[in-house]
Amino acid sequence: MRRLPADGKIVTSADSGFIREPLTAADGAALVEAVDVAITWDAAGAPTPAGASLTIRPGEVVLLLGPSGSGKSTLTLALNGLIPHSIPASVSGSLRTAGHDVRASTVADLARHVAMVFQDPDSQLVTGTLLDEVAFGPENLCLPAEEVLRRAEAALRRVGLWERRTDNPDRLSGGGRQRLAIACALAMGSPLLVLDEPTANLDPAGIEDVYAALRDVVAAGDRAVLLVEHNLDAAMDLIDRVVVLDRDGHTAYDGSVDEVIRGHADDLHRMGVWLPVASLAALQLRGAGHALTPLPVTPDELRHALESEQDPPGTSVPSPTPRSEVGQDPVVTVRGLALTRRGAPILHDIDLTVHRGEFVALVGANGAGKTSLLQAIAGILPTRKGMVSLGGLDPFRADARATTARIGFVFQNPEHQFIAQSVREELAHGLRRQKLPDAQVRARTDEILERFGLRDKADVHPFLLSGGQKRRLSVGTALVAGSEILALDEPTFGQDRARAEELLSLLRDLEADGTTIIVVTHDMQLVTDYAHRTVVLDDGRIVADGPTDEVFGRVDVLRRAGLRPPPLQRALADLDGLPSLSGRARLADLPGGQR
Amino acid sequence: MSTTVDPYAAVDQGGRFLSRINPLAKLLAPIPVMIALVFVRDLGTPLAFLAVAYLLLLLGSRIATRTLILLGVALPLAVVILGLGMAFWTDPTAVTDRTPALSLGAWSLTWGAIGAGFATSLRLAAIVALAFIGGLTTSGSDLVRASVQHLRVPYRVGYTALAAFRFVPRFGYELDIIRQAHRVRGAGGGRGPIAAVRRWSGYLVPLLAGAIRHAERVALAMDARAFGAFPERTERHLVPWRAHDTVFVLLFWIVSVVIFVLLHPWTL
Amino acid sequence: MVTRRPLLSTRVLLVCAAIGVATGIVGGIAGLLTTAILAVVPILYGVLLGVHVLPGIIAQEVLQLPFVALATHVLAALVSSAFAIGFAPQFLGTALLFGGIQELVAAIVRYRSWAPWRFFVSAIVIGIVVAVAVFFAANLAKLAPWAQIVYLVLAVLGPVLWTAIGLGIGRSLRRAGVARPRR
Ligand SMILES: Nc1ncnc2c1ncn2[C@@H]1O[C@H](COP(=O)(O)OP(=O)(O)OP(=O)(O)O)[C@@H](O)[C@H]1O
Ligand SMILES: Nc1ncnc2c1ncn2[C@@H]1O[C@H](COP(=O)(O)OP(=O)(O)OP(=O)(O)O)[C@@H](O)[C@H]1O
Ligand SMILES: [Mg+2]
Ligand SMILES: [Mg+2]
Repeated sequence: MRRLPADGKIVTSADSGFIREPLTAADGAALVEAVDVAITWDAAGAPTPAGASLTIRPGEVVLLLGPSGSGKSTLTLALNGLIPHSIPASVSGSLRTAGHDVRASTVADLARHVAMVFQDPDSQLVTGTLLDEVAFGPENLCLPAEEVLRRAEAALRRVGLWERRTDNPDRLSGGGRQRLAIACALAMGSPLLVLDEPTANLDPAGIEDVYAALRDVVAAGDRAVLLVEHNLDAAMDLIDRVVVLDRDGHTAYDGSVDEVIRGHADDLHRMGVWLPVASLAALQLRGAGHALTPLPVTPDELRHALESEQDPPGTSVPSPTPRSEVGQDPVVTVRGLALTRRGAPILHDIDLTVHRGEFVALVGANGAGKTSLLQAIAGILPTRKGMVSLGGLDPFRADARATTARIGFVFQNPEHQFIAQSVREELAHGLRRQKLPDAQVRARTDEILERFGLRDKADVHPFLLSGGQKRRLSVGTALVAGSEILALDEPTFGQDRARAEELLSLLRDLEADGTTIIVVTHDMQLVTDYAHRTVVLDDGRIVADGPTDEVFGRVDVLRRAGLRPPPLQRALADLDGLPSLSGRARLADLPGGQR
Repeated sequence: MSTTVDPYAAVDQGGRFLSRINPLAKLLAPIPVMIALVFVRDLGTPLAFLAVAYLLLLLGSRIATRTLILLGVALPLAVVILGLGMAFWTDPTAVTDRTPALSLGAWSLTWGAIGAGFATSLRLAAIVALAFIGGLTTSGSDLVRASVQHLRVPYRVGYTALAAFRFVPRFGYELDIIRQAHRVRGAGGGRGPIAAVRRWSGYLVPLLAGAIRHAERVALAMDARAFGAFPERTERHLVPWRAHDTVFVLLFWIVSVVIFVLLHPWTL
Repeated sequence: MVTRRPLLSTRVLLVCAAIGVATGIVGGIAGLLTTAILAVVPILYGVLLGVHVLPGIIAQEVLQLPFVALATHVLAALVSSAFAIGFAPQFLGTALLFGGIQELVAAIVRYRSWAPWRFFVSAIVIGIVVAVAVFFAANLAKLAPWAQIVYLVLAVLGPVLWTAIGLGIGRSLRRAGVARPRR
C-alpha cells in the first residue's frame, strides 16, 4: 500500500475486486533493472542503445544523459514494454521492470509500474476535460469509479490544476498541459515516472511551471523519476543520480551528480553530452586559471564559487566582444502594423526597423504574436498598404517571386515547406522559378548542397533526412533564391542543442556574408549568445527593443512578458567578488573563451 | 475550419426534453423515414416531415443563435437555390404541367419543372432536418459514448474517435500552414480543376505524413496509460437508455406511419 | 491477465483516424461545394461524391491490413459527426457503404493482393451503387436523357478518378518513408 498525502486523503494503490493486484517488487528491490540492454529498430542495422545498464530504486531521481541518437528515448520506451509490444523494435539483454521481464509482460501490466510523460503535450490528450483526462488511465485499469475519482482528484491537486478540472485541456498553456500530463502519469499510481524531455516545447514560463510541479512530486518522496532532459539548468537541483550513455548507447557513467558531472565534466563535454550552462562556463573559466573546485552545476553554485574567487594573476579579462558594426541601411521597415486574425486583434501598433546585416531575435511567450509578426514581414499574412516595406517593396502586394528574392522564410516545421521528391530538386525548384538556365541551376544547387553538408544526400527524399538535415535543407531552400533577408520561425524547435548550435553557427556565417537575419526563438541562452538585437513581444505589442545585453538587463520587463533571463546572466549579475565578470551573459565574453 | 466548435462540450439545452433523450434514440428514430423519403416524389410528404422536425426542434430544444440561423436562414435558402437549380435541369418534356412560368426566347421554365425541382429540394431538406433533431441536441462525446454503450461499437474505436476530435482543428491549422508554405515556395501554380487537384495532392502528402506521425505518438501515450488492457473499462459517464427513449422512438414511428397513410405519396 | 492481441492495435486505429480526419478535411471542403454543385450542375455531382473514397484507399495503400478501410471510414464519420452532428446519419451511412465495399473487395481476395486493379474494382462498384442511390434521391429521372447518361458515366468515373489520386498519394507517402505499421 502506498500513500499519496494530498490534501489529507489517503489513497490506496490499485486494488479492486476484479483485477489482479499487480506484482509489486519486494520492498527496496529495484523498479528497473537493465543489464546490457540492446534495442534494434526494425529498419535499422545497429542497435541503439547497444548496451545500456541502469538500475532505478524506489524514490530515486535519475537523470539519463547521452549524445543525440544514443538511444535515450528508445530505452525509455522499452521500460514499460511499448518496445517491443507496440513499436517495431526488438530488445535483447536483460530488462526487468518491477521484477517482470518486459518481453514477457504486457504494456497494460507494466503501465501499473511505469508511467510516462512524453515531449509533446498535445499528443497525450484523449478526452474533453481535465478530469476525464486524468481519469482515463485508471479507467483503463478497470478501477471502480470512486477510486478513479479519488486518484484523479489527488493527482490534479498535486499539480495545482484541480480548480480547472472541468476545462477543456486545449485552454491550458503549454506548461499547463504538460503539468496535466504529469497528473495523468501520477494517477496511474505507478511508483516510477519517466519523463522524456518534458519541457522541450515550452516557453520559459511554461518550463518553470513544469519543474515546479515536478519538484513537488519529488518532495513527496513516493515516486522514483527517470528524467531525460537537454535543458539541464532547470533540472539540476532535483537529481540524485546521473546515468550517461555514450554515442552508441553503452552506459559510460553511473553515479551521483558529484561523481559524474563534477568528476567527469571534461569527458562528458567531449562526448557531446550537454552540460548545465553553469558547468560549461566554469570549465571555460578553469581554462583561464580559476580554480572552481568542485565544479558548479547550477547558476547559484557558480555565483557562490565566483564570489570567493579572485582574478587569477596574469590573466586579463577580455572586454566584451564588440558586436560587429551594423550599417544604417534599413532593409525592413514596419510602421503602425496592426493585425487581426479571425476577428481577434493579434498585433497592435508595431514599429520596427531592421538594418542590413543585423541579427535580430524576436522573443516572447507562447501566443505573443511572434510568428504573426514574422509572417507579416515576409508578406505571408496580409497587411495594409504602407505598413511593411522591404526597402521599398511591399512584400504582400509584390509578385511572390520578387518577395522571395528579397526575403526567405523558414517555417517552424521544415516538412511543411518541402514540395519535391529529392533534396536536389527541392533546391533547384527556387532557381527554376527564376527561369535560370539549367547549367546555372545545377552549379548553384551543387554549391548549396556543399555548403550545407548535404551533398551525399542529394538524391534522397527530403522527408527521409534526419531532423538536423531537414532544418539545413529548409534554410537552403529559403536562401537559394539569393534572399538578402532570412526569417526563421523557431529554427531550434524540437532539436537538441548540438543541432541548434550547428544551425546557429551556419546563420552566423551567413550573417558575416551580409545576410540580415530575424529569428523567433524560445532559447534565451542562444539569443544572448548570437543576436545583436532583441525585440520582446508581449500580447501583440513590442515591450522592449534594443541591443541584446540591454534588453536582458531589464529583468522586470522580461518577467512580465513571460520570459526569464538566461542562466549565465543569472549567475553573473552584480557579482561583487569578481567585478570584472559582473553582468556578462555570453559564454564568448568569459575569459578562456575561444570562439 | 471548425475551430469554434468544441466537440467535447456538453450541449446545454436548459433541460428541454430533447436533451434528455438518448442520442441514439434521436438519431435512429427518424432513419426509416429518411430512407423512405428517398423514394417519395410529391411535395406534401416532405413538407409534413419538415414541419415535424421543426416542431420538435422548436419545442424540444433551447433555441440558440446557431439553431435559428440554420433553421431560419440556411435551410430555406438551400431549398430555394436547389429547387430552382433542379427545375432548370429538369427535362421539360418529362413533366405534365407545361404552363411556362418564365420564358426567355425559345426556352421556358414550366410550372411542372418547378414543381419537380422543389419536390427534390424539399425532400433533401426534410432528410437533413430530420437528422438535425438528434444533431442539434447532442454532443459529439455523448454520441460516441452512447454508441459504445448500446451499439456494441468497441470502446477502443470509440475512444480513438474521441482522441481524434482533437485532430480536426490541429490538422486544419497544419493545412493552413502548409498552404502558406507552398505558396511561399511558389509551388502548384496554375488555374483550373486539374491544377487545383495537383496542388491539393501536394498539400495532402505533408499533411498526412505529419498526421500519421502525430497519431503514432498519441497511440503511444494511450498505450502507456493501459488503453485496451481489459475487454471493458470503467465508464463514469453513462448514457442510459430509459423507458422514455423507447416511447419517443415508438411515438415517432407512429406519427410517421400516420403521415404516410394520410398523404399516401405512393400509388401502388 | 490474458494476453489478448486486439484485431487492430491502438497504433493502427489512430493512424486510421488520422487518415480519416486529414482526408475528411478535404472531403469537408468538397461537402461545402455540394449544394452549389447540385443546384448549378447536378450532373457533376458524382465526380464530387467520389472524393469520399479517399480515406479507405489511402488507408489500405499505406497500411495494407484487414479492416483498415472500414475503420478509417467509420472513425472519420464519427469525428465529422461531432463537428457537424446534424449530418451524423448521412456520414455514418456513407462511411458504411464506401468503407464496406472497399473492405469487401479486399476481403474477397483474402487481403493477399494489394495491386491497383483491386482498388479500381471497388471504385467501380462504389460508383455504380452511388450513382443509383443519388439517382433516386435527387430524382434524376426527370433530367433530359443525355444529362442522365452524362451523370451516370461521371458518377462511375468519379470514384475511379479519386481512387487513382488516392493511390498516387499513398505511394508518395510510402516514398516519403511514412512508416507502415505492421499491426
Ligand atoms: N521511429 C523510429 N524508427 C526507426 N528508427 C528510429 C526511430 N526513432 C529512433 N530511431 C533510431 O534510434 C536511434 C536512437 O534514437 P533515440 O531517439 O532513442 O535517441 P535519443 O538518445 O533519444 O536522441 P535525442 O537526444 O536526439 O532525443 C537513432 O539512431 C534513430 O535513428
Ligand atoms: N491562423 C490563425 N487564426 C486565428 N488566430 C490565430 C492564427 N494563428 C495564430 N492565431 C492567434 O494569434 C495569436 C498570436 O499567435 P502567434 O502564432 O503569432 O504567436 P507566437 O508568439 O508565435 O506563439 P508561439 O510561441 O506559441 O509560436 C495567438 O493568440 C493565436 O491564438
Ligand atoms: Mg530522444
Ligand atoms: Mg510561433
